[in-house]
Amino acid sequence: MTDDYKNDPMLEVYIFETSQMIEQLEQLLITSEDEGGYSTDVINEIFRIMHTIKGSSAMMLFDKVAELAHSVEDLFFFIRDQKPQGLDFSKVNDMVFSCLDFIKVELVKIKNGDEVDGDPSKLIGDLKILLSSISGQESVDKVIADKNDVQEVVQQYYISSARPQSEDVKKTFLAKIYFEKDCGMENLRAFSVLKLLDEVGDDYLYEPKNIDDDRSVEIIKTDGFKIYINTSKNFDEVQNILNNAIFVEKIDLSEIQNEEYEDKKNVETINIPENNPVKIPSPSCQVDVEKAEKEHVSLEHQNIINVSVSKLDKLMDLVGEMVIAEAMVVQNPDLKDLDLQNFYKSARQLNKITTELQDIVMAVRMVPLTGTFQKMNRTVRDMCKKLGKEVKLKLVGEETEVDKNIIEHISDPLMHLIRNSIDHGIEMPGYRESVGKPRAGTVTLEAKNSGSDVLIIISDDGNGLDREKILAKAQKNGILNKNPESLTEREIYNLIMLPGFSTNEEITEFSGRGVGMDVVRNNIDKVGGTIEVDSLAGSGTTIVLKIPLTLAIIDGMNLKVGDTRFTLPINTIKESFRPKDSDLIKDPNNVEMLMVRGQCYPILRMHSHFKIETDITSLSEGIIVMLEQDGKSICLFADELIGQQQVVVKSLPKYIKNLKHISELAGCTLLGDGSISLILDVNGLVAS
Amino acid sequence: MKNVMIVDDTMFMRLSIRKMLEKYDFNIVGEAKNGLEAVELYKKLKPDIVTMDITMPEMSGIDALKNIISFDPKAKVVMISALGQETMVKEAIILGAKTFIVKPFQEERIIQTLNKLLGS
Repeated sequence: MTDDYKNDPMLEVYIFETSQMIEQLEQLLITSEDEGGYSTDVINEIFRIMHTIKGSSAMMLFDKVAELAHSVEDLFFFIRDQKPQGLDFSKVNDMVFSCLDFIKVELVKIKNGDEVDGDPSKLIGDLKILLSSISGQESVDKVIADKNDVQEVVQQYYISSARPQSEDVKKTFLAKIYFEKDCGMENLRAFSVLKLLDEVGDDYLYEPKNIDDDRSVEIIKTDGFKIYINTSKNFDEVQNILNNAIFVEKIDLSEIQNEEYEDKKNVETINIPENNPVKIPSPSCQVDVEKAEKEHVSLEHQNIINVSVSKLDKLMDLVGEMVIAEAMVVQNPDLKDLDLQNFYKSARQLNKITTELQDIVMAVRMVPLTGTFQKMNRTVRDMCKKLGKEVKLKLVGEETEVDKNIIEHISDPLMHLIRNSIDHGIEMPGYRESVGKPRAGTVTLEAKNSGSDVLIIISDDGNGLDREKILAKAQKNGILNKNPESLTEREIYNLIMLPGFSTNEEITEFSGRGVGMDVVRNNIDKVGGTIEVDSLAGSGTTIVLKIPLTLAIIDGMNLKVGDTRFTLPINTIKESFRPKDSDLIKDPNNVEMLMVRGQCYPILRMHSHFKIETDITSLSEGIIVMLEQDGKSICLFADELIGQQQVVVKSLPKYIKNLKHISELAGCTLLGDGSISLILDVNGLVAS
Repeated sequence: MKNVMIVDDTMFMRLSIRKMLEKYDFNIVGEAKNGLEAVELYKKLKPDIVTMDITMPEMSGIDALKNIISFDPKAKVVMISALGQETMVKEAIILGAKTFIVKPFQEERIIQTLNKLLGS
């Protein structure tokens, strides 16, 4: 099940659909927990999902998963059919959640091409125990048996109602039918053969009699299914009828004495209880045609296909290359000083189309945060159970869309932040009541668009961050290298993002060992986002993640220093200007600062910082670009601005990354003239 | 070439069946992901044969079968069932399903079954 199946499209679909169904199921369980019970629809839905997972898993030969799904299906079959009173929902939910977790782990193994070796037997055992605790063991067995066989009263034999009244000479044939090996449900195969006979209106008897019972399967498999047919047809005709049966491996047809048939029939007739109607489960619902059609209309509108992300990545790359190629053509040095009116007219048209194309490609990659947000319900639920807290999760703006790649990077940080909020922020219910807060805490997860960024805001109404504690802790752990007096409130709170920081005295199962927040920060940094923490003692903490909508193409401003080109993300530029020499201030340590409108800003001379040779070293000859990030500003000094351009972000080649640890570079890009420009990481610059 | 319609609520099963059938020159004229779609689509496409899952949202395979048979009594519908659905399979046969295939199934099995039903 390892290498052969990796990258198999079937497997991909299996994993995709199964994960989707599990997510859906979790959502259902959580909703029903809120409502304090399962509605009939929910039970049916759970049953259906488990059933489907069972079927698909069995097809893929993941037998263990199928087996577990089957057990859960049994449980819900019981609940659906018996509607047991006083069902312990949370217990059932816990059980189903553990089963889902098991399947999830197996899915990950499948995805990674590892051996699918999880053993669900304990879970299956637990499920059985749970099932028997819901009801008496006896009734469980009965119900499960019933599930396989609703018709308790065995249909002993059947005489066709369309029995011909003719006085033709009848013969009796004995047909021994052997079904194909492993065709499954042999008893029902037999049943369908009988159905064929019904259609032609012949009388028959058959053995084994109890074909409604699973136990007959073995007999039919080994001894074959025997039918005594009393008919006016001849041998060939009977043979022809039986030949229509499906999955039949062999039919032994022979003629026997009529007396034998009569004898058998008489014996059996005596045994038949009267008034023994065959219970056929009534069709579950009559279809409301009007409604059906209405729903169908809505279905037709839903024209959606699934595309693998790797294809979209490729498409994005190509569009990126095209943007570069376009710049290369339009800004080609050969065109310099030529009068090319028509060329530029066409170039503008090309530009319009590439821009549109780019927008579309971006839009295609956008996915709503809904899934990611809703996954958090589960986290909140588990945390509350374990910690004995009461927390409501409020989701706002979950339909906000971000790039698929970004979603993958923010799922873990979000979960961590939510855990932190519940673990460190929200107080115990008793305490909350004593300070006049509602018993249940609220954690709000909100997403909204803001320009080219998406803001994700995690706020709680818990205890807030403890300023003094943070400072003490930071000092103790040696991560505070400034005078605490000089720090703003915000700077103090942001200390918790530093590696090796944890305000919690004890390590808990969820919030970990103080590796959390800096991991969160790293993940957010990876997608070019920023984090801000704000808190009010006693009334809660708010964490704002600012995430760019997309990673691959940014609006950049190109600058020149010596012969080197740099690109800055345009949204970080506050202003650019040519300073006067007189605005330059030096402190006693010879650190340069620039006075702008009465405020001092540190200056970073690019040429000296990156050790680039240039003729322009006097401030008044070059240009100052003021950048702002996280509320901090810095003035970059460069030779000149080249211009604004959309650039495609490429990561730096590995060998450069390995050789030099330049934290100020976020990547590189190709400019229109074919030269390479380095993209500056504003975070890194401001920090240095 | 025989026209087949596949009904199943999971893309996984639809794709599995499609792949198996396409190898043997069956023409997949349509796929439906629930009973409602199946009935509509059947009326539109009139396929030679239908593979029908039983448990589906919106409308179950049994109800879809019923609707299809009442529209076209000669319809050839093969139920695709998992173990544990004996009762429903039986109902399906009573309602007029030609036969059923038990999940998990092999390629040869479904091909043989369809060929036999279409030949007859």
